[in-house]
Amino acid sequence: MTPFLRKFRILFSTQFALMTEYRAEIVIWMLSGTLSLIMMLVWMGQAAAAPGGQIRGFSASDFASYFLATWFVGQLLVVWVAWELDFEVRQGTLSPKLLRPLDPMWGHYSGHVAEKIVRFPIMLVLVSLFAWLAGARFSLDWRVYAAVLGLVVLGFTVRFLWEYSLGLLAFWTESSTSFQEVVWLVYAALGGLFAPLAFYPQWVQNIAVWTPFPYMLGLPANLIAGKATLEQAGQGALVLVGWLAVFILVRLMVWRVGLKKYGAVGA
Amino acid sequence: MTRYFRLIRIFTGATISAQLEYRANFLGAVLASLGEVGVALLGIAVLFGQPGTVSVGGYSFHQALLVVGFFMLTEGFISVFVQPNMSKIAEAVRTGSMDFTLLKPIDAQFNVSTRNLNVLRLTDILIGLGLIVYAASFLTVTPGGVVAAAVMYLSALVIVYCIWLALSTTAFWFVKTQNMSELFSGVFGAGRFPVTAFPVPVRAFLTFVVPIAFITTVPAQALTGGLSPLLALASPLVAAVLFVGSRLFWKKAVGSYTSASS
Repeated sequence: MTPFLRKFRILFSTQFALMTEYRAEIVIWMLSGTLSLIMMLVWMGQAAAAPGGQIRGFSASDFASYFLATWFVGQLLVVWVAWELDFEVRQGTLSPKLLRPLDPMWGHYSGHVAEKIVRFPIMLVLVSLFAWLAGARFSLDWRVYAAVLGLVVLGFTVRFLWEYSLGLLAFWTESSTSFQEVVWLVYAALGGLFAPLAFYPQWVQNIAVWTPFPYMLGLPANLIAGKATLEQAGQGALVLVGWLAVFILVRLMVWRVGLKKYGAVGA
Repeated sequence: MTRYFRLIRIFTGATISAQLEYRANFLGAVLASLGEVGVALLGIAVLFGQPGTVSVGGYSFHQALLVVGFFMLTEGFISVFVQPNMSKIAEAVRTGSMDFTLLKPIDAQFNVSTRNLNVLRLTDILIGLGLIVYAASFLTVTPGGVVAAAVMYLSALVIVYCIWLALSTTAFWFVKTQNMSELFSGVFGAGRFPVTAFPVPVRAFLTFVVPIAFITTVPAQALTGGLSPLLALASPLVAAVLFVGSRLFWKKAVGSYTSASS
């Protein structure tokens, strides 16, 4: 195990150096993911216009708390590996990586983690600013944030693996990134980017509880906004662990089968 | 003038025949369009799905659907006509191939704006038109409203083009502009909803700072006859000012262009 950890540490430090170079871009990437901010503003407008100033028990300030929290969590779950794989497979730059004594997945994984660490402090500043502007209130219990961290690490890894599997479809098709966009839509809808899951029709909620999406995005956001309990966090973590096992297998299978199909450009 | 129309025909033919070489990408483009319309429709579906909600920002469901239709139409316009051209400006400045464009005996801005098309994304335009027609069939629309909406939407297209041109023109100084267009798309996402659905300070921002309101809300208002005369006048005016402004900006940028080797 130690040689593996040494390789991972070196990969991580190079990726971290790379990502700090891109810090200006990271701010722009963060600001271009505006969907939850837009939904926040619309729901706040709706709550202000509703009789009693509330929709399903959510006041404008509750909406601000929930959607800023989804924005925060969503930023930590951002995964772009499908685009990188699409590029590497089509351009053939995957070939030299296959010669390395380590699955290329770890390079991508360390890059994503490094980017999150660069992103985190910038994000804290922006979230505090927006929270002050919109009048959001967050939970003050430290155990909540420990639970959020756990769910986010699990959720990020699950998402990374499914995006990786989708990206590997580049072995067969040139449209793999489009599949990724459609799956993103399901993630955004069931994760609760458009509204808290409780606002959806009952049948949608019944389906959603079997998917990993609500537990990686909506649940941590609800925890931060003070609308979910630690027991729910524990149950969510169990579901995510189940999905993690599924996607580890799926990724491994797609990788094995796809690699046989791979004929590098020019080979 | 006829020369420019002939050139548009030649450019279109060339770009379409180039794209038909990559027909397999069609599936991807359709999926991308469906994803785009899915986001917009889900957004308003959840809003109107709440018990007791009959309007969002004073818009009924079908009026809001009209706004979504104009949003998709504009997305299509950007993907088909604007972005394929504008994204190449930065590349041309960086590699110095802008030289060839500037040497041609036609207007350089015309050349960089019309040379390419992405016909695969025509589906966005079709979806947008379909949504507008569907939503309008539930609303009372007068012939005058249609004419007003056409004029307002034409101004909207000019506004969109000018913003993109101005953002892309900054490539003459800052090499990379892709991030700026992503930032624009992020803000433009607010156009999925009627501007009145936002809190007042945001509404002012979306009208006066980034004129998103003129792109999707104003044409929808014009079609249903709810447009205030002030906005009806402001929209073409904003378009004209932006057109002249972006033209001057382009001229200034080209004037300071020193090619790539020096």
